[in-house]
Amino acid sequence: MKEILKLDHIQKFYGNEGNITQAIKDISFCVQEGEFLGIMGASGSGKTTMLNCISTIDTVSAGHIYLDGTDVTELKEKAIAKFRRENLGFIFQDFNLLDTLTISENIALALTINHVPVKEIEARVEEIAASLNITDILEKYPYEVSGGQKQRCACARAIVNHPKLILADEPTGALDSHSSQMLLATMQGMNDMLGATILMVTHDAFSASYAKRILFLRDGAVFTEIVRGDDSRQAFFEKILNVLTMMGGGVSDVHQTGLE
Amino acid sequence: MYTRLVWNNIRRAARDYVVYVVTLTVCVMLFYAFLSISSNWYHPDLGMEYDFTLLSDGMKLAIGVVSLLLLFLICHVNRYMLRARQRDFAVLAVMGMEQRVIAWLFFAETFFVGMIAVAGGILGGAVVSQFITAMLMRIYERAYQFQWMLFPDTVGWTFLFFGVCFLVVGLSDVRTIRRTAIIEMLTANRRNEPELKKSRWMPAVTACYLLLTVWMLETGIQKIYFYYDPRFPLPMRLMFGMNLLFPAVTLLWATFCAVSKKRRNIFALLWGLVPCALCNTLGAASVALVQKEFYLSLGAELLNQYLMFLVADVQFLICAVICLLSRAIGLWKEKVRAHTYSGCNLFFFGQLLSKLATTTKTMSVICMTLVAAVFLFVVAPVLTQWSFGYLDSRSMYDVQISSDYHNVYDERDLRMGDYKEVTEFFREQGIAVEADVTVPLYLPQRERFHDREKLDFPAVAISLGDYNAIREMLGLSPVRLGETEFTTQWHLAAEGEEREEFLRNNKSVSTDAGELTAAATPYYDDAMGENLYNRYTRFIYVFPDAVCEKLLAVNQNRYIMTTEPISYAQAGALAQAFSAEYAEYAEDGMEYSIRLRTLQVNSAKGSGFLMESMMIYGAVVLMVICLMILSLQQLLDLDQHRYRFGVLRKLGADEKTIGTLVFRQLGVWFGLPVVLAILVSAVILAYFLQTVSVEIAAYVGMGAVGAQILKTVGIFLVLFLAYFLSTRMLFRRAVAKR
Repeated sequence: MKEILKLDHIQKFYGNEGNITQAIKDISFCVQEGEFLGIMGASGSGKTTMLNCISTIDTVSAGHIYLDGTDVTELKEKAIAKFRRENLGFIFQDFNLLDTLTISENIALALTINHVPVKEIEARVEEIAASLNITDILEKYPYEVSGGQKQRCACARAIVNHPKLILADEPTGALDSHSSQMLLATMQGMNDMLGATILMVTHDAFSASYAKRILFLRDGAVFTEIVRGDDSRQAFFEKILNVLTMMGGGVSDVHQTGLE
Repeated sequence: MYTRLVWNNIRRAARDYVVYVVTLTVCVMLFYAFLSISSNWYHPDLGMEYDFTLLSDGMKLAIGVVSLLLLFLICHVNRYMLRARQRDFAVLAVMGMEQRVIAWLFFAETFFVGMIAVAGGILGGAVVSQFITAMLMRIYERAYQFQWMLFPDTVGWTFLFFGVCFLVVGLSDVRTIRRTAIIEMLTANRRNEPELKKSRWMPAVTACYLLLTVWMLETGIQKIYFYYDPRFPLPMRLMFGMNLLFPAVTLLWATFCAVSKKRRNIFALLWGLVPCALCNTLGAASVALVQKEFYLSLGAELLNQYLMFLVADVQFLICAVICLLSRAIGLWKEKVRAHTYSGCNLFFFGQLLSKLATTTKTMSVICMTLVAAVFLFVVAPVLTQWSFGYLDSRSMYDVQISSDYHNVYDERDLRMGDYKEVTEFFREQGIAVEADVTVPLYLPQRERFHDREKLDFPAVAISLGDYNAIREMLGLSPVRLGETEFTTQWHLAAEGEEREEFLRNNKSVSTDAGELTAAATPYYDDAMGENLYNRYTRFIYVFPDAVCEKLLAVNQNRYIMTTEPISYAQAGALAQAFSAEYAEYAEDGMEYSIRLRTLQVNSAKGSGFLMESMMIYGAVVLMVICLMILSLQQLLDLDQHRYRFGVLRKLGADEKTIGTLVFRQLGVWFGLPVVLAILVSAVILAYFLQTVSVEIAAYVGMGAVGAQILKTVGIFLVLFLAYFLSTRMLFRRAVAKR
């Protein structure tokens, strides 16, 4: 299988000389094409910082990040935006949808920014909407639909360009349990049916159980990793809880939602 | 604690306030500078022939009226601020703070910021008032002298005026905040505005316009009934026809739209109404032109009525065009998918359409206001120069007395007074006379005494001796005539073409003393005052003395030059004494008037200064208000814009694209009303200049008008660029990558 993302000993420092915080000490791992990787860890473990570095929103202090062979840490400012729109898709906790555009236009915006030919746009929006079951809300504005529907729209926007990697930052953070379940099923579908490579950062063990592999971060470094393999989701969920218990101190910061 | 909260809020909202504070400071500066002229402490040295108190009273009143515009500005800005801050208020309310307290905190914040601007404005105003003093001195032909302009009464009035404005607006805000539900405040910024087609602004404007059209139609029918005559020349008949036909067509179209299901919407109605309104504008505009060209006696009331129709037509056109352009943006987005789905256009359209209902209304009001400002700017000095130019030709003599026979219907009632009371007054007051001429004016033919139709009013004649006496008084060389010759003297405002045509067709003139032929020099056009000519005529015949002795004298004028200027008090007393003896409208029909240079100059300069300064003050205030509102409209939604551009950036838009989008967005909101205002102003100015072209050529000069237009364009360009660029800078900074 093709290696799509590779983090090579990345480090990240904040602050100035007198007051330095090391958000990421040393992280290295790889993501294969078509993989659904979960990243877990307590608050302050470096999850979001790492995601920001991968997404080129932030820069690393040391180390390299390769996406499909391109070293994103070496990209010039001008090339970063192009790289981001061509290779990455985002799903944020607070949806990041534009209230000025309808759901369909929000999805289409991701295509128009990428200069997709006009005649393809509407067909592709409808196709992705159908696969994520949001066709009936396409002409509504974000403030007219529920949180779950908004997040599915964000998923559609993230995947419509067929990016090499989808980055999801606490996608269920602002959703109720039912909506979370629907969203996670959607993401799993995106991974299984559409072959999307997903890297999801989450606090929530239940959400993490939808992933195929989970990396646990503690104090800016990889603590351990577990792979679902042929396990059922129930079994994988328990494994996750065991690791969290083993991680000790950080466990109180981690949500332990039971399987419904 | 509360003081700290207010202070922190001000610091946090400094970006929102900066444009408002700067604009308000400029307005206070102008307010103070103009008002300082009317201060009790202000005593400019204008000379004893001028009385300044009349001017300062008028000034106070005019400034008060113009400054009411500022109340609108403060009101508008506060409404925006209130909307932008609603979420903060909601958070405070949720935390348990009473809405009453929140309201008063907001009041304290805006009041404090406003007072800072007032204090700054007063200091700046003391400097600006030096320019106003210089302008005053220039008009009164005195040298500029520095004078300390920080007057306690003006400072007091300024604080009082703006304090009351802030208080009125603030109390209304307090009421609004206390009555708004917390949930509404929380969700205020999350919704887009209702769609443009659901906005009630344009239907309301259209309804008013259609009501006015009914009035236009009624006036058109009435005027045809009372004034129309098929013998009128074509332009006059066209004028009557247009003012009947176009309002009728307008109403027909509105009725058709109301009946037809397919067209029962505001946009279909407007597509037809715009050309109709354009035609109505032409019709209304033609009234003044035709009246001027053909001396059509319609009366000032009707002219004013059509002027009002004209203004209403233009206002409606502006609103309708902006509404249709806004609609066109929406249609363009829906229909031209190739353009909508190209690059970040989708985002751009989203930005425009989310605020279309409010901005359409705001842009229409701003466009109309800008037109008014540009018009005032150009017209103010033209009117002043006109009155001064006219003053020069009106006040050529220290004293001029005239009589007018146009209400006398029996020759026996013609009275040729010698105005000896004036001579006595001069003797009593010890005023030395340098030159004094009394001149009778004659009708060439006695039979024309009863001709009183405007277009056929007879020109009067003056004897050569009297004419030369006046010329000598004015320092002009004398004129010679043969025994059977005549020449003519023309009014300044007469056009060359008119004169040439007259002289071509009148090589000789019949008089009661025989036929006279035109002299080798058939005309003179030196300025000789206004009342030398008969009513509705722009020239006077000059006949040999022997001929005049046989003619009927109808008017008697007297011109006096004194060795020293007459003081203001003496001039007032003389005018009063004269009026007591010679009533302006005497019982026998003769009308008398006395004009004293001192009084004419005093009142013309006073009112000229008042008019020019107030029009310029009004124009600048209107301009900055418009530009500030355009700017604030963008800046107060910056939080939303920052979020939206942030999302766009995360989706992969680069900084160059974001910069272009910001420029395009500001370009549309600033550019649309400004470009439309410039176009409309150009047309209106061209119309105005055309209507008064003769007077401008005679008293002002086209060069001076051109210079004023250039000056206006320059000032507007500087203000526009200042506001546009600072808005763009603040906008870019706010949405910049962090």
